[in-house]
Amino acid sequence: MISEQREKKEKLHRGAFYYPRIYRMIITQDIKSKMHYRADFYISTIGMLATNIAGFISFWLIFQSFPSINGWTYYEMLFLYAFSLLALTPVQLFFDNNWALRFNVYSGDFVKYCFRPLNLFFYYISETIDIKGAGQLVFGAGTLVYAWHHLGLEVSVRSMALLIVALTSASLVMIAMMNAAAATCFWVINSGTVMVFLFRFKDYAKYPMTIYNIGFQIVFSILIPIGFIAYYPSLIYLRAQDVSILTYLSPVIAVLFYYGSYKLWIRGAMKYSGTGS
Amino acid sequence: MENRTKKLPFRRYFSITRAGILEMAMFRSSRVLDFVGNMVYMIVVYFLWRAIYASTHTVSVNGMTFKQTLIYLTLAGAIFSTLNNYLVWKMGRDIQSGQISLFFTKPMDFFLREFFYSLGNVATQLVLTFIPTFLVVSILSGWSLPMGVNLLIFLPAIAMSLVISFSIDFMVGTVCLYSQSIWGINMMKEVIILLLSGATIPLAFFPEAFRNVLMFLPFQAIYNVPLMVLVSNTYTWIDYARALGVQAFWMVILVACARLFFRSSSRVITVNGG
Repeated sequence: MISEQREKKEKLHRGAFYYPRIYRMIITQDIKSKMHYRADFYISTIGMLATNIAGFISFWLIFQSFPSINGWTYYEMLFLYAFSLLALTPVQLFFDNNWALRFNVYSGDFVKYCFRPLNLFFYYISETIDIKGAGQLVFGAGTLVYAWHHLGLEVSVRSMALLIVALTSASLVMIAMMNAAAATCFWVINSGTVMVFLFRFKDYAKYPMTIYNIGFQIVFSILIPIGFIAYYPSLIYLRAQDVSILTYLSPVIAVLFYYGSYKLWIRGAMKYSGTGS
Repeated sequence: MENRTKKLPFRRYFSITRAGILEMAMFRSSRVLDFVGNMVYMIVVYFLWRAIYASTHTVSVNGMTFKQTLIYLTLAGAIFSTLNNYLVWKMGRDIQSGQISLFFTKPMDFFLREFFYSLGNVATQLVLTFIPTFLVVSILSGWSLPMGVNLLIFLPAIAMSLVISFSIDFMVGTVCLYSQSIWGINMMKEVIILLLSGATIPLAFFPEAFRNVLMFLPFQAIYNVPLMVLVSNTYTWIDYARALGVQAFWMVILVACARLFFRSSSRVITVNGG
């Protein structure tokens, strides 16, 4: 009873900066522990960059033999690729602990997160920061600037503000997909396969939706919404004359997807009853 | 006992292969998702390359038609998921947890033990992933794949692909003894193999100088050689012999390297705690 009252009191005193401050404290501990494995950081960053460079080389090789992909030029494809890399960075940087969720759930360690007076999802996700994602951020930004420059796109306050909104909503979609995939571990045993299965789809986000037929355009817009990771938001810059209605809706859709995945995650966690030990 | 072991040298390892098969059979819903994932990959490759070929007016580019490119890439994707065995992750985890010390106390060779275990995984994947993909591709391409002696030659070719790919994985796994960075090392390995073997973009599309270099590397022996054996209409007996010879060459070299590297590295093992 007393503790309940105290908790209520504390909640009243948690200002707007309570969660950011907690987040900084938890992340500092994680970064400290990661500093012990400096070689791991360098090797992982090189591995990450190698993946990104291989994607770049693939486009370069295709455009050595072909003039365009369905009317999309080399620099337009690079724009989509860079945009998708940037949109995929937050999930890598801040939501990597989702990959460990199933191990925590099966071993019973997940119980420890349930006893803190914090939002369960917040506390779990804030535990790790995956700094190798920073390499992708740099590579993605560099490629985007390169493509931006060659396409002669305007550099203005408006276009930069739009870019931030577009990238944020694109990131939310990917985060939502991985939240939902990770949450399956509360119901099924081999959720690792579900995560790998859905994570593979991010590689297809860099292609324009116009290459697919109508059936797959619907699948990739609703069922597995990878169209929102690069294609729909990029239309503002690449095909300003025929922007899809989905482009304007993408921030709303992203927030809805994210909220849905959060609810699913919490629902699974609430039903978790430990392993009994 | 001595005699029987001599007659069937790998007899005791087959029970491990069986364990590998059972492990795969246990996670049935994973196999279904693997299959669906490969089908989706095939569909995306189809739409992507259809769009790419739509931009030219010639039927064949760099000697490859749309159909040939499609067959080549989808089968490469199927071989990738067949040979993909998470060995680097397994070795890395065994090394970090100290489990690996247990294997040194067993009367089995670690390399062979791991090989026969992945053999079980690969055999299952071959039946559940590769053969269905092959059939789907054959039907969709109107049975344009040659159906004859190439199917027979493909079996030893894919077996040698397995040994080559396994040896590379084993060497990469051994590196975990030194660096403990499983993710990064595995990522680099995957990127290098997938790009340089022609599994992402067929080798025919690489600039000639680049391609000539790649032909001297072992990666193309994993994907390009067995795929060309399977899809080519023009291969003669000499071509088949040369293809298998190239693979055998890399197999011997890489198995030797993997074993020597592991033997010299196992002296530096430091196992955490007791």
